[in-house]
Amino acid sequence: MLINPSINILIAENNITILQKCRELILDEGHNVRTAESVEEALDIIQKHPGDVDIMLISLELPGWGGMTLIETLQKARREILIMTMSANCGEEAIEAMHAGAYDCIRKSFTADRFWTKINRAIEAFRLRRQLDILTRQRQAVLKKGPHRENLLAILDSLNEGLVVTDRKTNVVLFNTKASTMFGLTEEKALGRPVSQCVESDELLSFFLRAIESDDSLTPLMAGEEPVVKVGENVLRVHLDPVKNEAGTVIGAVGLFHDVSGVSAMDKLRSDFLSMVSHELKAPLSSLLMQISVVLDGLAGELAPKQTELLGKAKEKTKGMITLVNDILDYRRLQEGKSVQKIESLDLEEILERTIELMRLSAEEKGLNLTCKIAEGLPVLSGDRGGVEAIFVNLISNAIKYTHKGGNVSVSLNKEGKGIRLMVEDSGIGIPGEDIDRIFEKFYRIKTEQTRSIAGSGLGLSIVKGVVDAHGGVIHVESEVGKGTTFIVSLPPG
Amino acid sequence: MKKILLVDDDVEFCEATKLLLESRAYDVVLAHDGKEGLEKVRAEKPDLVILDVMMPEMNGYDVCVVLKADPELKKIPVVLLTAVDQAMFRTTHTQHMGLMTEADDYIAKPVEPEELVKRVEALLSGKD
Repeated sequence: MLINPSINILIAENNITILQKCRELILDEGHNVRTAESVEEALDIIQKHPGDVDIMLISLELPGWGGMTLIETLQKARREILIMTMSANCGEEAIEAMHAGAYDCIRKSFTADRFWTKINRAIEAFRLRRQLDILTRQRQAVLKKGPHRENLLAILDSLNEGLVVTDRKTNVVLFNTKASTMFGLTEEKALGRPVSQCVESDELLSFFLRAIESDDSLTPLMAGEEPVVKVGENVLRVHLDPVKNEAGTVIGAVGLFHDVSGVSAMDKLRSDFLSMVSHELKAPLSSLLMQISVVLDGLAGELAPKQTELLGKAKEKTKGMITLVNDILDYRRLQEGKSVQKIESLDLEEILERTIELMRLSAEEKGLNLTCKIAEGLPVLSGDRGGVEAIFVNLISNAIKYTHKGGNVSVSLNKEGKGIRLMVEDSGIGIPGEDIDRIFEKFYRIKTEQTRSIAGSGLGLSIVKGVVDAHGGVIHVESEVGKGTTFIVSLPPG
Repeated sequence: MKKILLVDDDVEFCEATKLLLESRAYDVVLAHDGKEGLEKVRAEKPDLVILDVMMPEMNGYDVCVVLKADPELKKIPVVLLTAVDQAMFRTTHTQHMGLMTEADDYIAKPVEPEELVKRVEALLSGKD
C-alpha cells in the first residue's frame, strides 16, 4: 500500500460556485474528484463506479431535503463511504445529518485551511475505518476455516486411538488416521457411508446406535466397563458417546477405539501376578483349613465342647476367606482376561457332574438333598471352560449356602433350541423383591438376620452374570421369600 | 499298611495331613522340598506320592519329571497338589500341560479332608 495514496471524493452540490471551489482544492492536493449537481446524478455515479467513491461531500442545501435522503440511502446500502456534509452555518440540520451517520460538517464560507483541516480528518477517519474492516474480515476468515481447523485435524491424527464420528443415521462424517489404518477406511469409501458398510462388525454398529439413541441423561454410555470388540485381526477396547449440539440434541455419535491386541505381555504379567496371589494367599489358608479340620475331627486329641464350637467357627471363617480369594481371582480373570480367554468345545455334562461331585460333600454336611438331572443328547457348546465352571460352582454353592437344613437343591441341564438351559432351584430363604434387581452388582449382599452369618464376597453372582454375558447368554431369577429361588441360565451354542 | 509320601514345604499342612491319613491306617512319610522328596521316594519306596507343585529349590513338576522318567519309579502314582485353580492352571501353566497327563491325579488346594482321603483311596485301590 502506498504511504499516502489518493482518495476518491464525490461532491454533491447544486451551487456551481461552491462545487468548483471544492473541486479545485481537492485536485490541488492530488486526490481524485467527481461531481454531481443532484441526488439522482450522485446515486448514478455511485452505482456505475462501485468502490470508486471513498468520501462523499454532500450539500445539505440540495433541493427538497435531498442531502438527508442521500445520507440515509448511503447508510443503508454503502456504509463503507464516509460522509461529510456542507451547509451554510452547520446548525440543526448538520446535527441531524450526523445522527443519520455523517462524520462532520463544513461551513460553506470556508477558507482553504479550514476546508483541509476538516477534510484531512475525514480522510484519516476513512483510512482507520477501512483498516478496521480489513482486520475484522481477516479475523473472521481465520475463524471460519484456515489454520484453526487444520490444527484440530492434526490433533485428531496424533491420537493413539482410532476415532470415528457419525451423524444420526450412522453415516461416517469424520475419522482420523489411526481409524483409517484400523478399519482400512479411505475418504472415498467411508465418508457419507453408513458405518456398517465401512466396518465389518455388527456389534460396533449396535454401539453407535445405542449412543445415538441414548437420551440426554447424564449417565455415560457403558459406564466403567468398556466392551472389547474383535474387528478383523484387531482387538479393540471401545468407548462411544453421543455427539450433541449446543441445544443438547443428539446429532451423531463419536467412537474411540483403543487397540489392545498388543497387550499380551501385560496379560502375562497379570497372569503371573494372579498366580502369585493365588499361591501366597490360598496356600496358607488351605493349610490352616486342613489343620483346623484335623484338630476338629479329634485326630490331635479329645476336644472339649467349647473347643469344638470355637474351632468350628474358625473353620467356617477360613472357608469364607478362601471363597473370597477365589472370587477375587475369578473376577479379575474375567475383567482382565477377556483377550486371553480360551474358547473351546465344552462337554457341559462332564463339567456339571464334576461340579456336583465337588459340592455333594458340603450339601451332605448341611443335610441337604442335592439332585441333578441332565438331559440326553445335549449339544456341545463352545465357550470358556473356566467361566462355565464358575457359573455352575457359584449358582450351586449359593443354593446350598442359602437353604436351610433338610431343604432341596435341584440342578437340571436341558436342551433349549440349539443351546442349553441350566436351572438351579432351591427351597431356601429366597430373595426379597427390593433386592432382586441388585443381586448381580459387584459386592452387593443382602443384609438380613438370616444372611448375616453366611460368608460371601458379593462377587459370585456378578462373576456369573459376566460369564453369561460374555457368552451371549441370558440369566434370570425367580424368587419368593421363604419359599426358594430359581436361577435360569440360557446359553447359545456360541 | 500302604505307605504314602507327602512332599510339601508347608510343614503344618504336612503334619495335619499326616494325622488325617494315619487315622485312616496309612503309613505317612514327609518331605519338605523337591530334593528331599526324591531322596525319600528312592529310600522309602512309597505306594503313592502326593506332590505340592510350588516348592523352593526343585518344584513339583520337576520332581514328577524325574520320577516318571525312572523305569523303576514310574509305576508309583503321583498326585499333584496346588493352590492354583484349574482354570488358572491352563492359562499360566500351559507349558506344563504335558506333565499334567503324566501325573496320575491333580488335587486343588484347599481340599476337604474327606475328599483327599477319597482320592487317595481311589488311586491306591486302582493300583492293586
